[in-house]
Amino acid sequence: MSAPSRPAGVLLRRLSKPNGRLLSSSTVPRASSRVFPGPVATSSAARWNSTTTSSSTSSTSTSSSSNFSSVNPDEVSHFNELAADWWDPHGSSRLLHLMNPLRHDFIRACHHTQADPPPSNGLTYLDIGCGGGIFAESAARLPSTRSVTAIDPTPSVLAIAKAHARKDPSLRNKLQYRQTSIEQLTIPTEEEAYDIVSLFEVIEHVDQPGAVLERVRPFVKPGGWLVMSTIARTWVSWFTTNFMAEDVLGIVPKGTHDWNKYLNEGELRGFLAGRGWSSPMVQGVMYVPGLGWKEVQGSERVGNYFFAVRKI
Amino acid sequence: MLARRSLLGKPGFICRSCVRQCQSQLTRAYSTSKDNIYDVVCVGGGPAGLSLLTALRANPVTSGLRVALIEAQDLSKVSSFALPITQFSNRCSSLTPASAQFLDTIGAWTHMKRERIQDYHEMQVWDGLTDARIEFDGQPSSGAGKTLAYMIENLNLTSGLLKRLEELGGVDIFDNTKVQNIDLGKETEEMDLSEWPIVELSGGQSLAARLLIGADGANSPVRAFSGIGSSGWDYGRHGVVASLQLEGDGWGGEFNKIAYQRFLPTGPIAMLPLPGNHASLVWSTTPEKAALLKSLSPKDFIAMVNAAFRLSAVDLGYLHTVPEGQEEELSWRTQHTHINAETVPQTVVGVQEGTVASFPLKLRHADTYIGERVALIGDAAHTIHPLAGQGLNQGQGDVQSLAKTIEYAVSHGQDIGSTLSLEPYSSERYAANHIILGVCDKLHKLYAVESGPLVPLRSIGLKAVNALGPLKNFFMEQASANGSKLL
Repeated sequence: MSAPSRPAGVLLRRLSKPNGRLLSSSTVPRASSRVFPGPVATSSAARWNSTTTSSSTSSTSTSSSSNFSSVNPDEVSHFNELAADWWDPHGSSRLLHLMNPLRHDFIRACHHTQADPPPSNGLTYLDIGCGGGIFAESAARLPSTRSVTAIDPTPSVLAIAKAHARKDPSLRNKLQYRQTSIEQLTIPTEEEAYDIVSLFEVIEHVDQPGAVLERVRPFVKPGGWLVMSTIARTWVSWFTTNFMAEDVLGIVPKGTHDWNKYLNEGELRGFLAGRGWSSPMVQGVMYVPGLGWKEVQGSERVGNYFFAVRKI
Repeated sequence: MLARRSLLGKPGFICRSCVRQCQSQLTRAYSTSKDNIYDVVCVGGGPAGLSLLTALRANPVTSGLRVALIEAQDLSKVSSFALPITQFSNRCSSLTPASAQFLDTIGAWTHMKRERIQDYHEMQVWDGLTDARIEFDGQPSSGAGKTLAYMIENLNLTSGLLKRLEELGGVDIFDNTKVQNIDLGKETEEMDLSEWPIVELSGGQSLAARLLIGADGANSPVRAFSGIGSSGWDYGRHGVVASLQLEGDGWGGEFNKIAYQRFLPTGPIAMLPLPGNHASLVWSTTPEKAALLKSLSPKDFIAMVNAAFRLSAVDLGYLHTVPEGQEEELSWRTQHTHINAETVPQTVVGVQEGTVASFPLKLRHADTYIGERVALIGDAAHTIHPLAGQGLNQGQGDVQSLAKTIEYAVSHGQDIGSTLSLEPYSSERYAANHIILGVCDKLHKLYAVESGPLVPLRSIGLKAVNALGPLKNFFMEQASANGSKLL
């Protein structure tokens, strides 16, 4: 099915960054009284517009989240379409597959900044917006991992993830998928909370990133890390991820990215400031044709970047 | 008969009773049993396969992988390889310093019989028709005594690797065992192995492979299973090998050994130094001439080898037409041929009994080195003309690259069998090997030309390269792959 139509005013929305992944859940019901952190508010009111108004969502996509507007139904239906070739190494998720190892390098870099060494085994992960499971599977395979819980609200995507995980017997006891969103997930006790909570390529697909980040906090163990990746909202990212990747090259299906939802690093810092986090880490990454993904200092102000904070 | 031996160098690996238990399960329900699931199943226990497993076991990042080796031969015979120092196996290889360095890194070099390895520092190459010559030696840029390569018996290499593997432990070895069949697994309620290769062994076991390594030679069954094609051609040449004794330790003495190679119209003949007054012969020639050489008495065979480094191509051609009496012919002809003795190898005085053998020469290159849950290394991926002594080194280069690729995949949680994880290996090695294959192939063809404009041209080329120090150094460093000295 085609991507949902968009309000006329939102022309820049076809996002295109080279990877097409996931979506996830977002935040709290809009009517709730939760307040978003201040610093962001000014950045773009348009970003908070839900695209649901124009959507012709598929019935499946709404089944699990009908009570919430936070999981954007457009996004859900869009990722349903992506599901088929999620694990095709030459498919539309290729760039995400190629980026995945850098996520582990980044998490290691975060651990290395700690004064206290991280445990060498027994780590637990919560992967929010796991999509087809690219990161979740890889995290579960690491010898230092005890378990990975991976969630995503899109049924077809979860089905792909589960079917794919069955192809690797080593994942059986370490990786658990759940079709849900973060606001439907029960908040764990401090002991049950996770060493690493990941939001990879998620935050730019949700309507209320500030609320999501608030919601996520109790899932991170004190001393654990919230790790995310997203795309800076710059003309470069519009050009590469929306215009080139989707419209010109067609590497990524149209409608994968919504440039208006992209978050700049400063905005993320603003969301998180004074809310129980420390040790912010950022790492810009760039895809260089012929060389693959490379860590490039300062490129977080240009395009794709990783961002992490440690829970106090 | 049960062929499996578990290498139990370290605690924590499978005990024999468990092995037996698991084997009985394997025969019943192999496709679903967890006991037969391996991360790496390597078919072929030659230098490439053994090096790969050693590299994986020696690296703490990859040592957690569950690995198995399948080999048709009895590896206990390889492992116990021992010959008196007066005898040498006829299958030798030239190891570049880079390859030797790698073997040292994975801890295998110290397990080789060092007294049977000969390093050499100089290489003399010349054109059999025009006598244009190029000399490779350690001078002047790299200092005296730089090692160009190490001559090593293949059995010494594999035996040392096996000893290192025994020391490391943790490899399930199925030797004296053939691969009966390779097929994809099944999907059950428990798991989906429909994309995993299942290797059925002649002993009745079946092993499921996350990553199946084809180190199984030029006619690789693994390559056939994975549907990877290969292209190439037969040269219409055979390589004749023999272990020889010379009149002395070589013109450079014990500490400055020299390798010799003369390009004859039928193919190159090479004399490669071994310890003491021993040398290894590789003579590529037509199948008919190879057959004659093998039929000769020792004294006539020796005469033919001496003639091949000394007489003109025409005279040598004549000697190939007589069924015997080469010794007398040679002594008569050398009186009428001017030879500067020190520009050719020292005279051969003996040939070790039973070492004259031949094998057909081929060029083959697989279309790709990887498939879903499959990787090819060594001769399974490429077979090369032996004239540059690069075959084994290419395999070592493959192993080094693949081991690095697997290490990266493991440390980043990738499935080591996925083509996505394996891509770096294929892209790194394919182009590199293709260049070497092409250069050696072109050299063979260039020197097979007996007349016409190419003959003087190639001599000019060889002389020019010899005169240009920097260019020569470049070639030399390519040939020796620029590693450091180990012996």
